[in-house]
Amino acid sequence: MTQGREIAVFAIALVVLAFGPLICPLIQLDITILSEVLVTTLAVLSVNLLLGYTGLPAFGNAAYFGLGAYGAALSVTYLHVNFEFAVLVGAAAAVAGGLLLGPFLLRRRGIYFGLLSIAFGQVFYFIAYRYTDVTGGEDGMNFPRPSLGPGFAHISIKEVQFYYIALIVFAVAMVAFRAVVRSPFGRTLVAIRQNEVRVRYLGLDTDRFIFVALLISALMAGVSGALFGLLINFAYPLILDWHQSGNFVLMMILGGAGTIWGSLVGALIYVIGKDIISTITPLWQIFLGAVFVACVLGFPRGIVGSIGALVRRRAVSEDVSANEAFDANAPIEVGRGV
Amino acid sequence: MSDEILLEANDITKAFGGVRAVDDVSIAVREGTIHALIGPNGAGKTTFFNAISGFTFPDHGRVTFRGTDVTRTRNWRRIEMGMGRTFQTPSVFPELTVDENVRLGVRAHAKQAFRLRTPTGAAAAAVDARVDELLGFVNLTAQRGRLVAELAHGSQRLCEIAMSLSTDPVLVLLDEPMAGLAEAETERIVGVIRDLRERLGLTVFFVEHNMRVVLSLAEQITVLDRGRLLAEGGPQEIAANEEVRRAYLGREVLASA
Repeated sequence: MTQGREIAVFAIALVVLAFGPLICPLIQLDITILSEVLVTTLAVLSVNLLLGYTGLPAFGNAAYFGLGAYGAALSVTYLHVNFEFAVLVGAAAAVAGGLLLGPFLLRRRGIYFGLLSIAFGQVFYFIAYRYTDVTGGEDGMNFPRPSLGPGFAHISIKEVQFYYIALIVFAVAMVAFRAVVRSPFGRTLVAIRQNEVRVRYLGLDTDRFIFVALLISALMAGVSGALFGLLINFAYPLILDWHQSGNFVLMMILGGAGTIWGSLVGALIYVIGKDIISTITPLWQIFLGAVFVACVLGFPRGIVGSIGALVRRRAVSEDVSANEAFDANAPIEVGRGV
Repeated sequence: MSDEILLEANDITKAFGGVRAVDDVSIAVREGTIHALIGPNGAGKTTFFNAISGFTFPDHGRVTFRGTDVTRTRNWRRIEMGMGRTFQTPSVFPELTVDENVRLGVRAHAKQAFRLRTPTGAAAAAVDARVDELLGFVNLTAQRGRLVAELAHGSQRLCEIAMSLSTDPVLVLLDEPMAGLAEAETERIVGVIRDLRERLGLTVFFVEHNMRVVLSLAEQITVLDRGRLLAEGGPQEIAANEEVRRAYLGREVLASA
């Protein structure tokens, strides 16, 4: 995609999303579901950065997501902070988690990185589960949604306001994410996915790159988790669980690993699909599972990845020399480097 | 040719399980030479190469590069210090273009790889110029927009050599640069290796099976056999060495050399 066309697609998507509160009633969709899509997209992007771009099996990102949610919940409950501060605390908690786990995770690659990620995530899950006095344990913790802004000029956040806050954060995150994966740093991450040994033999300490990628990922997952907690006014241990991590990975694969838009599409299909199907049958997971299996078998590059490959193939057949193969959106084959 | 020793390895030993893949081997690579490491399959050539380049660490012994002990130095640090290396199977980024493969190394060397913003202006121009220069050197300019995975084997090798040069090394380690190549492609690589020294003034240390190439290209040859140092010397000496003949060399090859 050329730069101009990409900006156009992004602008159109934002305009459509801006009409979300008007569109939702027409299709009998709760606006909070659309908020959840936007918020979840950030968490999927956080997995995408590590798994889709860098090739590290990020099977424990729910840890950062949950730290974000609990950071927000605890700061609102015990410190009575306002909305933006709660998000900051959640993000900071997640980054602190990344700083803590990073040095250990860096010691392993491949499947062992994935297993370590899951294991560390479960540690946080059990802390939240067991530390009943503070976190409410298995019951989780309910908390009121704080208002935005300082005390003298606060704005109370109803569902529609929340949606627009989520949309702004989403837009900033998408732009920032694109800048990161297109930067020399981001291209080096893609190179690490393809051949880490060679990157080291270009004189680069790949651990340093992976550590920073991990922190960026934790930050995005933390913001996502904090907003998610504030959206449902609830934090509970299961959002730290490895099932939750698995859901993010699933959404990323569904949309397309290594593609920016894939994260939104994956979150959109998963969150809305779950909402619709779960009102029809409690066995909604079977249906989503079937969609997932069909996707992996039929379009291993995910929805956006497959479309991208199709467009590229057409472009290549039209003009071989115009083959812009070094594209940040270039899809990868799912499962590589895992 | 200078007499300065650029790379020195002393008493290198590396064992895998009970097998001593490299057993007490010492060599010295002099600055400005083309030095070859030969030996039959399983002689420990690649293991030795790995120990020198920091792919693995030796169990015993000492590696000195440019006067510094690098025995336990991380491989990426050695690259910063001026080593470049290629692998038996070309180690490249298959899904990136030729241009981008080389550019990653040039950026790494220019300390731009860690940036979150793509440099512009003079910094970008310097990188562009260096990428052009390297692609020109290995004659891949015409293929710069193609994915490396789509290239012929020999061109992938050339791309890898350009990548190993992108970090401005003084010593280039080439692990079987001719392996699996057709005659014409071999000639191309031979030309490039000569140019590494003649045009760029680099020191080349390479592992090779093709004896004709080794005898015509190398000024210094080290022979390994079953993990041990068997012989050392110039091409004439090695070609005449009875032990080497017995251990490794095909008689007809020597007859034609």
